[in-house]
Amino acid sequence: MLKTGQRIAGVIAIGISTVLIVSACTPSGSSSSSSSSTKTLVVDNSFDLKTSDPARAFEFTGSIVDRVLYDTALTFNGSDVTKPVSSITSYKENADNTVLTLTMNGKHTFSDGTPVTADDVVWSLKRVQAIAGNPSFLLQGVAVAKTSANTITLTSTTPNPALPFILPNPSLGILNSKLLEKHGGTDTKADQAEAYLNSTSAGSGPYILKSYSVTTKVVFALNPHYTGPAPAFGNVVLENVAAPTQKINVQAGQSQVALDLNADQVAGIGGNTTTIKGTSPDVIYSWFNQNATVGAGVTNNQDFLKAVRQGIDYAKIESLTGAGSTQPGGLIPSQFLGALKSDPSNKYDLNAAKAALAASGYHGQSMSFAYPNDFNIAGLQFQTLAEAIQSQLKAVGINMTLFPMPISTFLDAYRAAKLQAGIVYWGPDFPDPSDYLVFNPGQDLGLRAGWVAGADPTVTAAANAASAAVGPTDRATAYQSWQTAANASGPFLPIVQPGQYVVTAKSITHLELNPVWTVDLAEIK
Amino acid sequence: MTSPKLNSVVTEAPAGRGLFGRLPPLTRYILVRFGVSILLIFGVTLVTFVLTNLVPANPAAAALGERASSDPAAVEAFRKAQGLDKPAYVQYFVYLGHLLQGNLGVSTQTHNPVSQDLAVAFPATAELALFVIVFSIIIGLGLGTWAALRQNRFSDQLFRVFSLIGISIPTFWLALAVFFIFFYQLHWAPGAGRLDPAVTAPPTVTGMYTIDSLIAGEWSTFWNALSHLILPGLVLILYTVGLLVRFSRSAVLDVLNQEYVLAARAKGLSSAAVIFRYTLRGASLPILTIVGLAFGSLLSGTVLTEQVFGWGGIGQYAYKAATTLDLPAVMGVGLIVGVVYILTNFIIDVIYGVIDPRVRVQ
Repeated sequence: MLKTGQRIAGVIAIGISTVLIVSACTPSGSSSSSSSSTKTLVVDNSFDLKTSDPARAFEFTGSIVDRVLYDTALTFNGSDVTKPVSSITSYKENADNTVLTLTMNGKHTFSDGTPVTADDVVWSLKRVQAIAGNPSFLLQGVAVAKTSANTITLTSTTPNPALPFILPNPSLGILNSKLLEKHGGTDTKADQAEAYLNSTSAGSGPYILKSYSVTTKVVFALNPHYTGPAPAFGNVVLENVAAPTQKINVQAGQSQVALDLNADQVAGIGGNTTTIKGTSPDVIYSWFNQNATVGAGVTNNQDFLKAVRQGIDYAKIESLTGAGSTQPGGLIPSQFLGALKSDPSNKYDLNAAKAALAASGYHGQSMSFAYPNDFNIAGLQFQTLAEAIQSQLKAVGINMTLFPMPISTFLDAYRAAKLQAGIVYWGPDFPDPSDYLVFNPGQDLGLRAGWVAGADPTVTAAANAASAAVGPTDRATAYQSWQTAANASGPFLPIVQPGQYVVTAKSITHLELNPVWTVDLAEIK
Repeated sequence: MTSPKLNSVVTEAPAGRGLFGRLPPLTRYILVRFGVSILLIFGVTLVTFVLTNLVPANPAAAALGERASSDPAAVEAFRKAQGLDKPAYVQYFVYLGHLLQGNLGVSTQTHNPVSQDLAVAFPATAELALFVIVFSIIIGLGLGTWAALRQNRFSDQLFRVFSLIGISIPTFWLALAVFFIFFYQLHWAPGAGRLDPAVTAPPTVTGMYTIDSLIAGEWSTFWNALSHLILPGLVLILYTVGLLVRFSRSAVLDVLNQEYVLAARAKGLSSAAVIFRYTLRGASLPILTIVGLAFGSLLSGTVLTEQVFGWGGIGQYAYKAATTLDLPAVMGVGLIVGVVYILTNFIIDVIYGVIDPRVRVQ
């Protein structure tokens, strides 16, 4: 019987091996030929894709997709988001930043061969406003009008120096209005063009949509009428792959780019790969509710907040978040205009923290510390960060009770300002410091921390000054002053900007990370 | 200690006087089971609706972005579009009304009709499930029967250890290990996805790439799709075979000691005749039960395996729907999973009735 058992086991092993070997002999379709027009680039990403309609898309994957399908009025070069540059139009601002004039450069052509006109620009921007979708806020309070065959004005009710930084957003891509009007598109809320745009692109970008699935992959082919420099790859496959699989795919040569690997996954990845390290523009921050009822005399106590700010060992947190991570001086990310390099208010000093805690009258009450436990940013689990902070503040004498929640439940409670304290992140909507003014008393994010209008006149005055500042230098100075004031008395504590990693095959020679669209597939070489 | 042979002479239950009562017992049995299945599907709609609406979170906040969720007009527009502004019981009846027209609502995540999403995801899972269940039945039943016939000998011990390993290894770990070894290290099998990245899917007929490519006469696509089934299939086969080996061994062992099997042996019938005509038939009910459950489980999505292999089936869709509070999609998946289990059980019940007269008489 011993022989019989061995025979059967052997037969099974041979059977499985045979099937695998046969499959190994099956021709693979992932390789690419040497001609640039037929070369295929495979990029792995964990999809959060909902739609490819730019006026409705406001997710990471949606931005990657729309970036190459739709040119925008203005753009950024590479990873530099401090200087908007011309694309479909050039721009000029008036003295008080209330009127932005766009002038058509007349060089762009849609994928059906028709030229991009000022009417298309106006129609596309008005459509974003009318649909009232996720990206509509980008143009809130902005009146769009065609003033001549080649010029468009964007008029804001209040000074809006951020507008040139907003227009490169892929959600503000310019669409072929005449084509879309034949397929249900309008610049009113009655627009029905989403389904069409999820099957056929209608832009002037370097690629056109070849196939589209929100769950598996999006395939791009070259736009035959693209007027810019030809991309290095004739076809691009953006496929939905979980991070652990992305690592193996790029190591094996199945894909050329892996977008979602974390610090642990890229450590020692080696092989035939290159790791591009950067700093994520997402700021992970803690908040401490200022509402007397929710704060329970703990988180709404200034000395207690001081103890927390000085009780966190930021260097140790950075070591958890991997190479490339950094402690921002304020809430504005290090890459943006107005970023604060560092601030003494948020510096680790255990003795000072203990002294502040003693002055606060804190007597060991437990502080509830909430975070989303099914969500990570750049592969970093909030659970890990929350536990580290709990441990560090324990050394100061602060007792924390961790309060993990699913992200959907967490967001609901956070937005309702029901949470005493916690940790979460803020990703930039556009690369301008004005995006962070929501962290002020009476503003959306301020209210989530129970920081109501009038609660802190000093911070509000600094925010108003920043908002009113004109010119890069004055704006940078004003925003830095605002962050310094907010660090001194506000409820928000910027903890870290984690490292960001992209792993590519060695054959990839050029790829730049961008805070707005993550990566431009057309610029990968 | 009763046997199908002895019980097959039991008089059938007296029929009723109506048309239904005059139908053959098997037909009556099937009709009753079908009616019960319809009622169960109705129950599933109620349960999925109630459970989905009990989730303590706001779907508008989950679906809208940070900015839009702070805009009361956008939130109100979303609630109105999704019918969330109506009382729960009205929402349920609207849902039922739409359901009767094949309308499962629109996914807040994919912006597609849920029925359209499921029409893409379900065939992907079904293709994998069929591949797995066919191999699992052949291997699992064979090994389980063999192990029972060689009870406590080496091959029995070997297969029991094998089945224990198959059941015990965490699927996620196994999937990654298989992927790493056979794809990355040995290059014996292709990577994630249902096709290589550069291969175009065949024209959709069934949604199963292997079948659709055959219909289209695209042989290279067929081999590509088939080769992509191997690694996720292997992971799921190891688990399913482990399950079937244990249950079929146990079922066959129970029957082997029955008097009718001993009598068959005593009459001098060949071993093959005893095994296939008496033993396996007697053991078929519990085996069918576990095959049905395993197939239902495979059809309702294998989340972790699909996640690792980027399969794009029901499992991945369900995971995404649940984590993003996509209520129409969650209800759609709940309904599909419920219907799959009910249909599977219905088919198993019918097969019970066909192969075992006791069942249809009762």
